[in-house]
Amino acid sequence: MRCLPLIWLFLLTACAGRTLYPLPGKGGKGAKLPIQTSRPYNIAHRGSNGEIPEETAPAYLRAIEEGADFIETDVLSTKDGVLICFHDFTLQNTTNVASHKEFADRNRTYEVQGSNMTGFFTFDFTLKELKKLRTKQRFSFRNQQYNGKYPIITFEEFITIARDAPRVVGIYPEIKNPVLMNQHVKWPGGVRFEDKVVETLKKYGYGGSYLSKKWLKRPLFIQSFAPSSLVYISNLIDSPKVLLIDDVTVLTEDTNQTYAEITSDVYFNYIKQYVVGIGPWKDTVVPVSNNYTQAPTDLVKRAHAHNLKVHPYTYRNENEFLHLNFSQDPYKEYEYWINEIGVDGLFTDFTGSLHNYQEWTSPLSETSKSPRQLLSQIAALVLPYEKA
Amino acid sequence: MVRSVISMKALWHSEVHNEQKWAANMKLVRALGVFAGGIFFMRNYDCLPLLLLSLLIAECASRPLYTLPSLAKAGTKKPLQTSRPFNVAHRGANGEFPEETAPAYMRAIEEGADFIESDILSTKDGVLICHHDVNLDDTTDVADHKEFADRKRTYEVQGMNMTGFFTVDFTVEELTTLGAKQRYPFRDQQYNGKFPIITLDEYIAIALDAPRVVGIYPEIKNPVFINQQVKWADGKKFEDKIVATLKKYGYKGSYMSKDWLKQPIFIQSFAATSLVYISNMTDSPKVFLIDDVTILTEDTNKTYNEITSDKYLDYIKPYVVGIGPWKDTIVPVSNNRLTTPTDLVARAHSRNLQVHPYTYRNENQFLHSGFHQDAYLEYDYWINKIGVDGLFTDFTGSLHNFQELTSPLPKLQ
Repeated sequence: MRCLPLIWLFLLTACAGRTLYPLPGKGGKGAKLPIQTSRPYNIAHRGSNGEIPEETAPAYLRAIEEGADFIETDVLSTKDGVLICFHDFTLQNTTNVASHKEFADRNRTYEVQGSNMTGFFTFDFTLKELKKLRTKQRFSFRNQQYNGKYPIITFEEFITIARDAPRVVGIYPEIKNPVLMNQHVKWPGGVRFEDKVVETLKKYGYGGSYLSKKWLKRPLFIQSFAPSSLVYISNLIDSPKVLLIDDVTVLTEDTNQTYAEITSDVYFNYIKQYVVGIGPWKDTVVPVSNNYTQAPTDLVKRAHAHNLKVHPYTYRNENEFLHLNFSQDPYKEYEYWINEIGVDGLFTDFTGSLHNYQEWTSPLSETSKSPRQLLSQIAALVLPYEKA
Repeated sequence: MVRSVISMKALWHSEVHNEQKWAANMKLVRALGVFAGGIFFMRNYDCLPLLLLSLLIAECASRPLYTLPSLAKAGTKKPLQTSRPFNVAHRGANGEFPEETAPAYMRAIEEGADFIESDILSTKDGVLICHHDVNLDDTTDVADHKEFADRKRTYEVQGMNMTGFFTVDFTVEELTTLGAKQRYPFRDQQYNGKFPIITLDEYIAIALDAPRVVGIYPEIKNPVFINQQVKWADGKKFEDKIVATLKKYGYKGSYMSKDWLKQPIFIQSFAATSLVYISNMTDSPKVFLIDDVTILTEDTNKTYNEITSDKYLDYIKPYVVGIGPWKDTIVPVSNNRLTTPTDLVARAHSRNLQVHPYTYRNENQFLHSGFHQDAYLEYDYWINKIGVDGLFTDFTGSLHNFQELTSPLPKLQ
């Protein structure tokens, strides 16, 4: 009986130390605003890099703030096999590596896809070394004020940003330069670059076919210019995959196939078993002459006929990227691609502008209603006609 | 008896004083005249009745008895919107076409402009033209015209020496042989050399011919220089000539009056004395333009601080309905970022003066950071945060789009 007050005290402390309800910041999974699926996807290409250096944490956080459906990234590897978010396989265009004297000897030349390239390659740096660098804005005509502020992030850090968002935000990672990565980075046990990417995704609970319940909780598209990588991982994970297609003059890095070949009906018939869509360079979908868009090709029509989605890249606000018939107005470009060409998603450097355009012209409240909302709408319509 | 007189008077009024009815009636009278003449002819010269019939038919068929659809009454035109800030097409849609040409203005009207804006200068023979620069070098192909090679001169304009081909050294006939070109290399060059400079009359005609009510916004440009270089035979000044042309086309009425709503107009100028000078000649609303903080007024050599002071705004207020400042003076810019806005808009608004800043352009080099290279965000800021009453824009279509998306006009029932 003497223990009673002690037990009582113990219980009190235990209960007061930990809240019995979940913290507001970590609300139940069901409470998050779900991903919209009723209008073309707003894919934040390398994050909101119109203003913030690409593929950094702030660029992704800004994109989520601005309304992105998906945040997109390119996955490469470090020397010690850590997956990072970085677009170029060399560091000089988007980091301050050139000002780091201690790395001066890392300036090397390698053969990449048939031609010699010189620079600081990501796979010559360990993660610890890479984290010493700071990113910078790639384009000189964009905001330079964040140069030297933010580090490169890992693939896992990128996933965490998406997972921690206040609403459901999808990820869109690219298996980037897999041929080069597998040449220069070896993982124990004969594990390949593609295996590591899938392993990381699975670790964070990604999986599920397109629009399945599991997928809607953690939306994901895996993209690559290398069809063989997508085929390779098709048995490893059922997440939807997208085949990227480069300009008409570029051969695929893994199979040396031409543009004409990989956009043929025969090829679509083959690849559609492995991918849910294609991601072409927009100037191949609608050719350009004298900086005016010409008549569209039938690429989108044929892709859609094969039930393949089309997510072209890349939409940018600056007038040098806007063809003249868009009157230097990116909203006119969005309108053309969404309403006339009918694409299913857009890779954009300016998440906010695309979000604005979509909210003004096809607001979600009108395109997707919950059953409850619909019922109350019907009730409101019927009410005046009720029998007295 | 009385009633019949009144109804006769009413009939007379409606049949004679109404322009269209009168035209139709005149046709009837003419047809009757032919009929009568035909009968007279027949009786004297034994012509067939067929001749008479054919004459009658010919007369009636050659002119319609109804008015042409394109000349329908002015009252049926869609009126000017006055419920949201004015979309002023700065030099026409010159984001796409060479500035101040007919296509630039027509495209602007197509794209939804409330007003089409122009700068008025003069030719050697005193004809009023639409052109922004006093010289022709940047916006025409004058350099390719060998026959004018000797017209290259140097003049002092607003205190600085300028060398080039000046409008005041060309007659209007010579000027119209030149082809306009796009001023900025990063804009569409495909129309270079295709379109001529137009006159004030032609510009007005474009506005009046529009399928809906479109206002004009002409600027009395460089009046000090023009009056120095061009002398009109009747001793009239540049400003007199402009007002005379506007009156000739029926522009009159104070801001928002019935007359003004039929033919909206703002007369703008950097020279306050010109606006004061014409204040007795026309009651059309006037707008006082204000240049950058370092520029002195061309007519009175006043500083920016002086002409934006409370004292000066109180002075100019009886003569103008608003001011048109350069936007970077309203909200100063530092390192391409907008800083805290000045109180210019507040002080203007407190005096019931409208504010129409210039100039809004889509290209990213003109968009300050913070607008994410997005012209619509700039419109949003100026319309919703700063609260301006009109915007001079090079991209009429974009501003119209933005306004239609965020503040659509109520649909007509």
